[in-house]
Amino acid sequence: MNFVKTSIFFGICCFFFASDGLAQKIVRYDLHVRDTVVHFTGKNRRAIAVNGQIPMPTLTFTEGDTAEIYVHNELREETSLHWHGLFLPNRYDGVPNLTQMPIKAGTTHLYRFPIIQNGTHWYHSHTGLQEQIGMYGSMVLNKKQEPEIPTVPVILSEWTDLRPGTVHRMLHNASDWFAIRKGATQSYWEAIRQGYTGTKLRNEWKRMNAMDVSDIYYDRLLINGKNESQLSHFKPGEKVRLRISNGGASTYFWLKYAGGKMTVVASDGNDVEPVEVDRLIIAVSETYDVIVTIPPVTDGQSPVSYEFLATSEDRTRSASLFLGEGIRQLASPLPRLNYFEGMKMMNGMMKMNGDLDAMGMNMSLNQMDMNAVMYPEITGSQRSPGKESGAHDGHAGHTPASITTLNYAMLKATENTSLPQDAPVKEFRFVLTGNMNRYVWSMDNKVVSERDKFLIRKGEKVRLILYNNSMMRHPMHLHGHDFRVLNGKGKHAPLKNVLDIMPMETDTLEFAATESGDWFFHCHILYHMMSGMGGVFSYENSPPNPEIPRPKLARRRLFADDRQFHLMAENDFATNGNDGQAMVQNTRWSIGTEWRLGYNDGHGYETETHIGRYLGKMQWLMPFIGFDWRYRRMGMDVEEKNLFGQRNTKDNRSLLSVGVNYVLPMLFTAQAEVFTNGNVRFQLERQDIPVSPRMRMNLMVNTDREYMAGLRYILSRNTGVSVHYDSDMGLGFGLMVNY
Amino acid sequence: MKLTRIFLTALLLLSGLYLHAAISNKVTEKVRVAGSAEACKAGIESAAYMRNTAEATWDAATGTALISYDSRKTTLDVILRKIALAGYDNARYLAPDDAYAKLTDCRYPRLVKPAPVASPAIPNAPAVDPLTPVFDAYFALKNALIAADAKAAAAQAATLSKAVKAVNMNELSHASHEVWMKISKDVAFDAEHISETQDVGHQRDHFASLSDDLYTLAKTRKPTQPVYYQHCPMANQGKGANWLSLESAIRNPYYGSQMLTCGKTTETIQ
Repeated sequence: MNFVKTSIFFGICCFFFASDGLAQKIVRYDLHVRDTVVHFTGKNRRAIAVNGQIPMPTLTFTEGDTAEIYVHNELREETSLHWHGLFLPNRYDGVPNLTQMPIKAGTTHLYRFPIIQNGTHWYHSHTGLQEQIGMYGSMVLNKKQEPEIPTVPVILSEWTDLRPGTVHRMLHNASDWFAIRKGATQSYWEAIRQGYTGTKLRNEWKRMNAMDVSDIYYDRLLINGKNESQLSHFKPGEKVRLRISNGGASTYFWLKYAGGKMTVVASDGNDVEPVEVDRLIIAVSETYDVIVTIPPVTDGQSPVSYEFLATSEDRTRSASLFLGEGIRQLASPLPRLNYFEGMKMMNGMMKMNGDLDAMGMNMSLNQMDMNAVMYPEITGSQRSPGKESGAHDGHAGHTPASITTLNYAMLKATENTSLPQDAPVKEFRFVLTGNMNRYVWSMDNKVVSERDKFLIRKGEKVRLILYNNSMMRHPMHLHGHDFRVLNGKGKHAPLKNVLDIMPMETDTLEFAATESGDWFFHCHILYHMMSGMGGVFSYENSPPNPEIPRPKLARRRLFADDRQFHLMAENDFATNGNDGQAMVQNTRWSIGTEWRLGYNDGHGYETETHIGRYLGKMQWLMPFIGFDWRYRRMGMDVEEKNLFGQRNTKDNRSLLSVGVNYVLPMLFTAQAEVFTNGNVRFQLERQDIPVSPRMRMNLMVNTDREYMAGLRYILSRNTGVSVHYDSDMGLGFGLMVNY
Repeated sequence: MKLTRIFLTALLLLSGLYLHAAISNKVTEKVRVAGSAEACKAGIESAAYMRNTAEATWDAATGTALISYDSRKTTLDVILRKIALAGYDNARYLAPDDAYAKLTDCRYPRLVKPAPVASPAIPNAPAVDPLTPVFDAYFALKNALIAADAKAAAAQAATLSKAVKAVNMNELSHASHEVWMKISKDVAFDAEHISETQDVGHQRDHFASLSDDLYTLAKTRKPTQPVYYQHCPMANQGKGANWLSLESAIRNPYYGSQMLTCGKTTETIQ
């Protein structure tokens, strides 16, 4: 890893002990966690390296070993490591404030557990957003007798030059900067040009913003820490087993291989009957074992290397690993998504109340990918401009030969996985819920801090029925257990610990409750998890966890993650005054101040502060209490009358108020407010109408006979230029700065 | 808006003229790029072109390209990758097969010949089942509807009409015979209507009833490969519609690209 500036390597220390009697081997790793500086894009950025490298070193064990992993925290912050997919005593599961206290800066923590399974797994930090900046690595648990085939650990990840904290804040503030970077704004201008005006209008009527398959724009995708690399020691004709883990924080990857079909032989560390596919999508935190063949060459010809291509689900970027030596055979890249087709599909599925309507289709197990309407390689080329109907246009003849894409119904365990028939069944039903506009992600509209633990008993058969009523897909991960995915394979239902569930899908899982303690069950998209999408399965009557000396304190700290407030602020430095707002918000609460500050008394100065609570799953309704202050010199005895004939001097007014906001179709916010002087005010406002990819329009009108219209052109993540007309302050041009 | 656009465009054009031919930090290399004739020249050169950053001149006689690029902004590797993705094999990269297949007027010999693949199994002896031509025509019709290709659908429906007329009832099994007596008129009716229109919507209406009839017929035979009976609840104005397919993966004939994957397999006939 030449990009790592920290020069001190502690190396991996492995000591092998032949322990007495049991012939059990102890395998020791020392992991030194340190700050580092990387330059994946050419710019220097902070990251975290373990033993000087990103990804973290591959940990290899054999079934029957005992793992001793010493984590030396040399950061100036807390950390933790979670062993993803492993069966281990609860106290070593590595979830800070749930199964252990965080590893404090400057201390060493020992994870010690027996290896009682095999397969491809991985490990990562479960603290804050550390996973995004380097704390992920492969973990290979070999069988005592592994088949003889060359094996390569492959860990996928993504990199952004933005600090992950900034990413998290931007998501919560509904910034569309990522959409601009992706070219996925889906503005009215683009809609009109591509003949989707009706689709866009209907979409906003149903109170949806631009749609996308992922939230974040990344600067680089990485395979084993590199955007492009080559394993040239493989020879033509050779078969290679790739042990692939998705260590990305939020990216699903499409996997393709230029040398032909791929044979999937395991998922989440559990063997499945081999199945041949052209491509597969690997959800965040899933693992797949895939066998590929480097095609033989005819005699006398020089060898060819073949591209293993990982493309992000939004198809903005990819990473390549070339297998073999010689001239490089490329895989054909995935064409860009046709977002408006996806929008049209979502329009059809979205009810006015924000629920999804699958129209009687029993969707499950990724078998029906509704996003396929956006895939040009499936539907044929993008429509020519100006055509609203998908009628015959000469391209339709090119429907491609069928592409075999893996889905969960194709996975079949190699062994009988059925659970004891006579065990008592405990059933849980969870509806995955979410709100893209406010970036709230939850189960049953409750975040982690808002719900009790799910109590289970040792010996029970726990059945989970999940329904995804949100607009995004979610990779749901259960700690410490494998669950059976009931996919029609009967006794051979595959075992997994991550299940990707697409919008409108219903999936049924079951697992044997054989452990004790508290086990996290959550969406593995890092930013969804930090927003509170998850819950804790807790075994009744478990002995106290020695790693958690003060359970109440730990609980409060665990809940702090999704209770966090996010700050946003913006100000328009305009020729006619300053116009701006600042807001802190969390899952349910919003505290915000708007201001209009003129440059002289005639323009006036005014601020409005609202403290409100969002109600309902879609959070369209927000009652609030407010405080208004304004000063404006309007000349002697000048008064304004509102539409109801109520009088209003604008000079020196400070009033309390109560009111309510409601988001109407077309995303207009209606506001009704009653002030302590008896005045009432109704207001309609729409912010950020996407006119063109970077142009936004704001509109406002109220019963105080005030109105405002403005245009803003977004220059960068934090700046823009604006022009607006305001009934109080007149025409102004300005420079917009936002945080 | 409009004025600004014109102004910006003018500015871009002017600056373009001013900066033209100004690749700074210029490096020029000669690289092998495969192509067969002058017809390939434009494709190769436009694949390599990046404004003020890279350009190429391809020579058909030698099969090489002279590539100039700004060594601070890009690398030869990036340019050769782009050329390969446009369909042209070169010194470092081989084009994906589908990119090569799109070069209709530039069929050059590939740089690396694929290793011989095991020859496909010899097709079975001609089918004795007299209903095979009917189902073959039906599946071809279904594929035309998936592609929303009204012309092809009409043609396939005409073939189906002929196949229906050609069935010799005496050769049918007892079960097939009984069903055939009931449905053959309706099948012929639907097939004829599909063949007489160029309106995909109308064709799909008939295809729905045609599929239901052929399903009852398919149930009476033992197919050589599994036949999947598939259902999309949204088709036919929300009333739902069925179809038969030889693939388990869903490719919906009622929507074409609009809702290609709507549906599920409700029964497998094998």
